Amino acid sequence: MRPDVVVIGGGVNGLVTSALLAKGGLRTLLLERRDRVGGAAVTEEFAPGFRVSSLAHTAGPLRAAVVRELGLAVETVEPEPRFFAPLPDGRGLALFGDPVRCAAEIRPFSTRDADRYAAFHLSLTRIARMLARVLEMTPPDLDAPGPRDLWGLLGAGLAFRGLGREDAQRLLRWGPMAVADFAAEWFETELLRAMVCARGISGVFAGPWSAGTTANLLLSAAAGDGNGAGSTVLVKGGLGALSEALAGAARRLGVEVRTGAEVARITASDGRATGVVLAGGEEVVARAVVSGADPCRTVLGLLDPALLDPEELRRVRGYQAQGMASKVHLALSALPAFEGLDGRDPAATLAGRIHVGPGVDALERAYDDAKYGGISRLPYLDVTIPTLTDPSLAPSGRHVMSVYVQYTPYRLREGSWDARRDEVGDAVLRTLEAYAPGLAGLVLDRHVLTPLDLERTYALTGGHPSHGEPSLGQLFAMRPLLGWGRYRTPVEGLYLCGAGTHPGGGVTGGPGANAAREILRDLS
Amino acid sequence: MATRYDVVVVGGGHNGLVSAAYLAKAGRRVLVLERRHLVGGAAVTEEIFPGFKYSVCSYVVSLLRPEIIRELDLPRHGLEILPLDGTFTPMPDGDHLWRMSDHGRTRREIYRHSPTDAEAYDDYAKAMVEMARFVKPILAMVPPDPLSLDILGLARLAGLGRRFQRLPRRDQHNLIQLMTMSAADMLDQWFETDVLKATMSASGIIGTFLGVRSPGTAYVLLHHYMGEIDGVFRSWGLSRGGTGAISEAIAGAAREAGVEIRTKAAIERIKVRDERATGVVLEGGEEIDATVVVSSVDPHRTFLKMVEPGALDESFLGEVRRYKLRGSSGKVNLALDGLPDFTCLPGPGPHLRGAISISPSVEYMERAYDDAKYGDFSRRPYMDVVIPSLTDPSVAPPGKHVMSCFVQYAPYKLREGNWDQKRDAFGDAVIDTLSEFAPNLKSLVLHRQVLTPLDLEREWGLTEGNIFQGELSLEQLFFLRPVPGWARYRTPVRSLYMCGSATHPGGGIMGAPGRLAAFEILRDWDRGRIR
Repeated sequence: MRPDVVVIGGGVNGLVTSALLAKGGLRTLLLERRDRVGGAAVTEEFAPGFRVSSLAHTAGPLRAAVVRELGLAVETVEPEPRFFAPLPDGRGLALFGDPVRCAAEIRPFSTRDADRYAAFHLSLTRIARMLARVLEMTPPDLDAPGPRDLWGLLGAGLAFRGLGREDAQRLLRWGPMAVADFAAEWFETELLRAMVCARGISGVFAGPWSAGTTANLLLSAAAGDGNGAGSTVLVKGGLGALSEALAGAARRLGVEVRTGAEVARITASDGRATGVVLAGGEEVVARAVVSGADPCRTVLGLLDPALLDPEELRRVRGYQAQGMASKVHLALSALPAFEGLDGRDPAATLAGRIHVGPGVDALERAYDDAKYGGISRLPYLDVTIPTLTDPSLAPSGRHVMSVYVQYTPYRLREGSWDARRDEVGDAVLRTLEAYAPGLAGLVLDRHVLTPLDLERTYALTGGHPSHGEPSLGQLFAMRPLLGWGRYRTPVEGLYLCGAGTHPGGGVTGGPGANAAREILRDLS
Repeated sequence: MATRYDVVVVGGGHNGLVSAAYLAKAGRRVLVLERRHLVGGAAVTEEIFPGFKYSVCSYVVSLLRPEIIRELDLPRHGLEILPLDGTFTPMPDGDHLWRMSDHGRTRREIYRHSPTDAEAYDDYAKAMVEMARFVKPILAMVPPDPLSLDILGLARLAGLGRRFQRLPRRDQHNLIQLMTMSAADMLDQWFETDVLKATMSASGIIGTFLGVRSPGTAYVLLHHYMGEIDGVFRSWGLSRGGTGAISEAIAGAAREAGVEIRTKAAIERIKVRDERATGVVLEGGEEIDATVVVSSVDPHRTFLKMVEPGALDESFLGEVRRYKLRGSSGKVNLALDGLPDFTCLPGPGPHLRGAISISPSVEYMERAYDDAKYGDFSRRPYMDVVIPSLTDPSVAPPGKHVMSCFVQYAPYKLREGNWDQKRDAFGDAVIDTLSEFAPNLKSLVLHRQVLTPLDLEREWGLTEGNIFQGELSLEQLFFLRPVPGWARYRTPVRSLYMCGSATHPGGGIMGAPGRLAAFEILRDWDRGRIR
């Protein structure tokens, strides 16, 4: 069978695009380099009997329209509280989806903040709802906007006005702001500020005092439900189960999914992409090539440079994609005892995301280390214990702790990641010791993924978890680059559908769904 | 007895004077009230130590709008800009970087550090000219309000969009990087020489509470670059007689147009009746009535201290309180017995006649910021040093010199102690750091004046010591400056206007806010909105 479209990379976005293309009537072939689909959303065994969502450990969540269109059946869990932050001094703050409960939680820290919380939650929800429309848009064509672009912009413009003057002004002001300022505008409690800041810096090589980090918070709020507490969506069986479900849906729709099929290069003739050549030499010819891989890998790794204008190549090389995060997985003999539970039920309270970063300065200091090419001595951690909601991930009575670690810069000033991998694990245990004393004694096994591993094993160039920095200059019509923001590239027949395109990273399927819409428009 | 004017201008800084001059030229009866004993605000020359004239705060001119120089005929009123040539950056390893306005020599100097960078320097200069060409008209434009239904304003915004659209892709790309990136990241894309990047990135942080690696600083870099390319008017340099001479020239033009200027006239309160400003009350109780009040002081001072309580609604006041000032710099003025001798380029020479930049590496710059981020002044600060007496001998006795050191970072809010206790330690850090590069400096100091952000607030009325009357961060620029919805020089109080650096296009001795404000006021007058 000669496919109409060949999709490179079986990550979440590649899967979503292929399934939607097949649904749209195109013969689609999906090629995945590894022996399993999922890309950065996979469940893997890291120690005998212990399984974990290797990279991403929470879902974005997946865009509701995608779930509906593909008829996905994935068992997700949304723990309450969604977000728990312990302090070494024995206090702790838990944020629930219900703003009234949040206010009650916050009250012992500050009555002023407790009173402000409802307004914060509402404002964020309204703005997220407006932005959600933008996430679903194909960014407009800036060079020659067509009627559809103008229509889309008009719609977004009206939704923007629909926010009302106060929220519209806020959105304008907040977008470029440092998340530390944003948090301080609302709250005085240091821990609560830090929890807000965490959402702005997660996946960004920037500290809470860096401008533009509020945009990251707003975008992730828009991908979720805009709740003041953020979103925590876990998947039974780990995120790999979600990828498998996507692959199942894709297959049912007629997509041929091939694993262990690494693409060596993209072929072209007369300036037009004609297919791909696999690492073994096999050639696949197709009407269009869609890459779910990151922009750097796609363009600099798979494409003949002669196909692009040197100026465009220079811009791709300037694309900011330096990774800053590592993952540490711990196989535990028992559930660790956390500080700050204060009489709460441990199993329920620790089931969501556990935030480790006691204040804004602590987060900023973690960034300072990385700014100069070092590993954060006291990193910011986003921890989940997935076995609390899905005991099948570990042998009975045992637990898995999945720790997202920031900041660990891809480019180290000294030494190499191969030589320094253990330092990340040590920094995590050292940091966690203050919050979960005795944790080290429970560790049966530990597994560390550095930014270099993210690049090598998961093909994320520069180890960047979301295929490139979500900085102000690399968003919307400028993601990945100005002129490339519509899933099309300067090479005819070559499309991008990964997190390096609008609306960016996170396990949402958003880029994949938007890309499929554009590709179908071009090909049918 | 109450006197009546058409316009009372609060504050005799350069923007207040510019505004007054334009209003008077249009036939209004204008009074400028200045709290201190001399006009100029932060653009003043003062003889703090006998025989030595310091440009106490602001010390170089680069941004003064050519149209203002022309329209107010400032040279006739005594303005003379003396070119300040070059930037000299001493390095700890004994090397240096010395850029001059002679392009060929600068190119050779950069070539010495990196042949690739010498090549890139030309491309960069061209790109920046293109960027400045795009941004410059915005400086002369009253910001439209994207939330209003004002068709003209929206059309102007759309016009900006169209201009952007017509730019070549390369320029569009550069412009986006300038608007969003950090100065250091942006320069990384062009150059490899660390000291070159460090010195160039300095323009991106001046007056802001941001580091060279903070996103948004590339824009500030462009903001400062704008003056340098006004080649025709050669407006980059020192003003003869110190910075105060600029203010004097503008005041001269204003007086000639009929403006009355009163010094030592501190304002206690802006009177408001029926949601309309009706005049001011001076400290001491004197009342002055006016049809229009124009405030050139920052929004905190204007709305939180001067406007009668109760005249403004809480949501507007909330926005004003949120407006970020955050002073980050200090100033050290030295009277010297001779010239400093730099280890890396000994002896007197033309390298001392330009700016001397203490910015040996990008990391040095960023570490200076780290200190400030956590509430301390930089132990080894970034400095922009000028010896004006080499260019303008009138400011110091023969054989002696004046040295002006702009120092960053000095955060207004200290984590420990207060500025009155730390002023001397701050001065010492400046002298010590400079002495690392010019060891004879300590023995030359006859007198030193140390200005902390607290001093800038107390003496010059700059809230939190911010030299731009508010951060030049993205969320405080253009139609968001100073607060969303009030970026058009108007305020919620009818007939009360703003004309200072806190309004578009922001700080520096530019005069543009004052001029644009005057035009908006006159427009309202023509439309019958002012009675």
